[in-house]
Amino acid sequence: MFTIENLQKSYVANGAEVRAVDGISLDVETGKLITLLGPSGCGKTTTLRCLAGLERPQSGRIVIGNRTVFDSAKRIFVPASDRGIGMVFQSYAIWPHMTVFENVAFPLRVARKKKYSAAQITERVARMLDMVQLTGYAQRQATQLSGGQQQRLAFARGLVHEPAILLLDEPLSNLDAKLREQMRLELKRLQRTLGITTVYVTHDQSEALALSDEIAVFDTGRIVQRGTPQQIYRQPKTPFVADFVGSANFLPGTVRGSDGDLTAVDTAHGVMRCTFAEPIGAGMKAFVTARPEDITLYDGAGAPAGANTLKGTIVNRVFLGEVVDYIVDLGDRELRARVRSDDFQIGQSVTLGVPPQKCVGLAG
Amino acid sequence: MATLDQPLDLSSDPPRWRRPNFLLIVCVAIGLWLVLVPLAGLLLTAFTEDTGLGFGAFTLDNFVEAYSGARLLRLIGNSVIYAAGTAIVTFVIGGFVAWAVERTDAPGAMLFHNLALLSFAIPGLLMAMAWIFVLSPNIGWVNAVLKSTLGLKNAPFNIYSMTGMIWSLSSHYFPLAYLALGPALRALDVRMEEAGLVSGGRYWQVVPKITLPLLRPAILSGLLLLFIMGLSSYEVPRVIGLPARIEVFTTRIQNAAIETPPEFGVASALSLLLLVVCLIAVYFYRRATRNAEAFATITGKGYMPTRIELGRWRWPVSIAILLMFAITLGLPLFTLAWQSFFSNLSQPFMNSPPKATLANYAYILRYPIFIDAVRTSVVVSAMAATVVVALTMVMAWVARRSASRFAWLLDALASAPIAIPSVIVGASILFTYLVIPIGVYGTIWILLIAYVTLSLPYGMRFASSGITQIHRELEEVAEVSGARTGQVLRRVLLPLLLPFLLAAWIYVFVLSVRELGASIFLVGPGVNVLATISLTMWEEGGSYGAVAALGVIQILPLLVIVAGLRFLETRVQRHSRGGAAKAAAG
Repeated sequence: MFTIENLQKSYVANGAEVRAVDGISLDVETGKLITLLGPSGCGKTTTLRCLAGLERPQSGRIVIGNRTVFDSAKRIFVPASDRGIGMVFQSYAIWPHMTVFENVAFPLRVARKKKYSAAQITERVARMLDMVQLTGYAQRQATQLSGGQQQRLAFARGLVHEPAILLLDEPLSNLDAKLREQMRLELKRLQRTLGITTVYVTHDQSEALALSDEIAVFDTGRIVQRGTPQQIYRQPKTPFVADFVGSANFLPGTVRGSDGDLTAVDTAHGVMRCTFAEPIGAGMKAFVTARPEDITLYDGAGAPAGANTLKGTIVNRVFLGEVVDYIVDLGDRELRARVRSDDFQIGQSVTLGVPPQKCVGLAG
Repeated sequence: MATLDQPLDLSSDPPRWRRPNFLLIVCVAIGLWLVLVPLAGLLLTAFTEDTGLGFGAFTLDNFVEAYSGARLLRLIGNSVIYAAGTAIVTFVIGGFVAWAVERTDAPGAMLFHNLALLSFAIPGLLMAMAWIFVLSPNIGWVNAVLKSTLGLKNAPFNIYSMTGMIWSLSSHYFPLAYLALGPALRALDVRMEEAGLVSGGRYWQVVPKITLPLLRPAILSGLLLLFIMGLSSYEVPRVIGLPARIEVFTTRIQNAAIETPPEFGVASALSLLLLVVCLIAVYFYRRATRNAEAFATITGKGYMPTRIELGRWRWPVSIAILLMFAITLGLPLFTLAWQSFFSNLSQPFMNSPPKATLANYAYILRYPIFIDAVRTSVVVSAMAATVVVALTMVMAWVARRSASRFAWLLDALASAPIAIPSVIVGASILFTYLVIPIGVYGTIWILLIAYVTLSLPYGMRFASSGITQIHRELEEVAEVSGARTGQVLRRVLLPLLLPFLLAAWIYVFVLSVRELGASIFLVGPGVNVLATISLTMWEEGGSYGAVAALGVIQILPLLVIVAGLRFLETRVQRHSRGGAAKAAAG
């Protein structure tokens, strides 16, 4: 449970002011995992570092629990060491001059609110190492651990002093693909078990979708959309979100009119029916988006009635194993379709079919 | 409302809004004092009348006296020829060694690297003296040997000449050129050359079109650095230039200061001119190194430098380099050691020498001023090393981590003394503390101030490179875990920096023990250091044997210390390489 209100943080880089965080507001309930998702330079990491107390914002307010840790109006700034947080960095930041045990024990040794006896420290560190499955590694030098083990060690260190919130700065990005998937599951289990409020920063949309209770999509220092993974994926509010989370095909057009839930949009390739999150008037410019995996390919003219259909020629195919990506040329643009069949050939004329319910309209 | 019902004990720990950065202020103040106060003293001395004590009325007479006449032109000419000559000669030799060590498969790379580092242990004064024993027209044994074997009438070499001076300094400094160029050659991504070769270029086309332009910043900055070091050098001009009547800035400044009555004003006016020349060189040096960053030649992990296979030239190249070290390092050291066992002049390979004796060593070790000088040198150098390491560690840390826009000042202040020749540091400190009544004049403390000032740039370089290698997140995670700044420094930063600090300590210690140019202004009755008593003994007619023994006694422990530094360095490298390899594997 923390609240961020109208956070502003700008830097001067090469003589120009860069607004890294431009009026972020966010509140998260206890026990939730929220992901800050966006491309590099969108302000997600800066927001996290402001929350940790590692950066000093120009203005705004941050409340962790019921304690104000930053308030520019009241001139309050609580340093990072007093905020009671746990953090895992992208580089893990495991201290190479300490053993595994000493790495985990550090937050207890420097704790000021409560003094821990040697026995308490030993007991707690052992429990943490157990939890992250590093039992028996306590006396190893931290640098002798593998990447995945270092990562788990970083979690143990971040959690040992029972922080109010856990901050994760792209913690999985240094792992290889297999290990990343495994750690993703483990992380989710750990977070559920402990019920700790967690902020997760990543640029990897699949990680965000898999882990989060909630996602906040960042772009140029602002939150452009916030919602559950399903909402973010299925009902993107802007072309940026649609494109960044998953990939999307865009067809520009003009709104013709609505009929119940579906709105018809005139495009260069015929009328496309789609859903708009908010009502939109006829004559407005709009984009129709369709996800590659929602597109079905038909040989010739076999598309079922009711589907949006487009005609084109296959110009390229990418074999990905479970699925095949086909690039279809519509004349003025190319679309990507992701289907299971690998029967289609380059040069073949096809019909593309998309159910209208899967097409999201965005005001242009 | 949230501020009111906080359960946490805010009374003992009020949230601070913005505390002034005391560390930054203290560091800047110390840096300003060390660098600017003596320079202010120098300026004042230059623009006022010499009164013997304190500053007199404003005057420009000092400049008139210092700058008028053909003597100044000759001074400038000599200094520039000497410095430029040294820069070029060291560069040719050092560049060849760097190329062979870093880019070819010539055997002995590690040996050459170690030899280059060991040469740092030898005080410049002793090196210059040793070359006189080798190449003086009167007493130099190589001249004597050549004369008798070739039947020459005159000595073929004369150390007492501009060429002799340049050779003497170059033989000592060429390892620096190697050390300056080596990293650039190593960092040069071989793929850039390979891309040229793959595009159809021959090696002899690739080198001038790709390799050399990529190395241009390193070459330029190396040349300028050696030029500045040549301008600043004092030992060779003093022992070789003075008898040869070849005057350069450093010796002229020192001369003016010890004239009777002392001409501090003239010395200051000359110092200012030399300082300006050095500052101009440093300006170009900075520009060259700044551009170096634009040439992103270091591409990180994942490349193995492929070396040129020399084939049958492998051993000839190696032997040539070995010979170079034998002549530049071995010859003078051998001569000094040889002479130290005879009380009268004894030329190796000439006649039959008298019986070797240890009498010179016995004499030196019982010489009261020697014991005194050893104590002072060791104590002051150890103090200087400790102060510099502590100060530059904090300065580098604040400079790298502080968000303050004044942090760059620390870097600038700490590296400023690189542009100030030691003679000027000595002179300006002397003039300044003669006037500032804090009682350091004539004590070891004034030496400490000089050594700390002179060593700041080197300490800063070690500390900076150490801190740059420590990922910022290692400190941040400690802070987030609840550690106070003091705890972060003590428990995380200090242990990680320790090898760098130890190396810096040894480096500064050796530098201070060797120091002559500043010391010569600051020693006095009862305060002597090794370098100054060596010079006195040489110039005031100690026996050749005693002088040589005094040299050997200084060089041996310094060699051991520098070998220790080298050992430490290889351990640090292995450590960090191991860590990097693990990180890459993980």
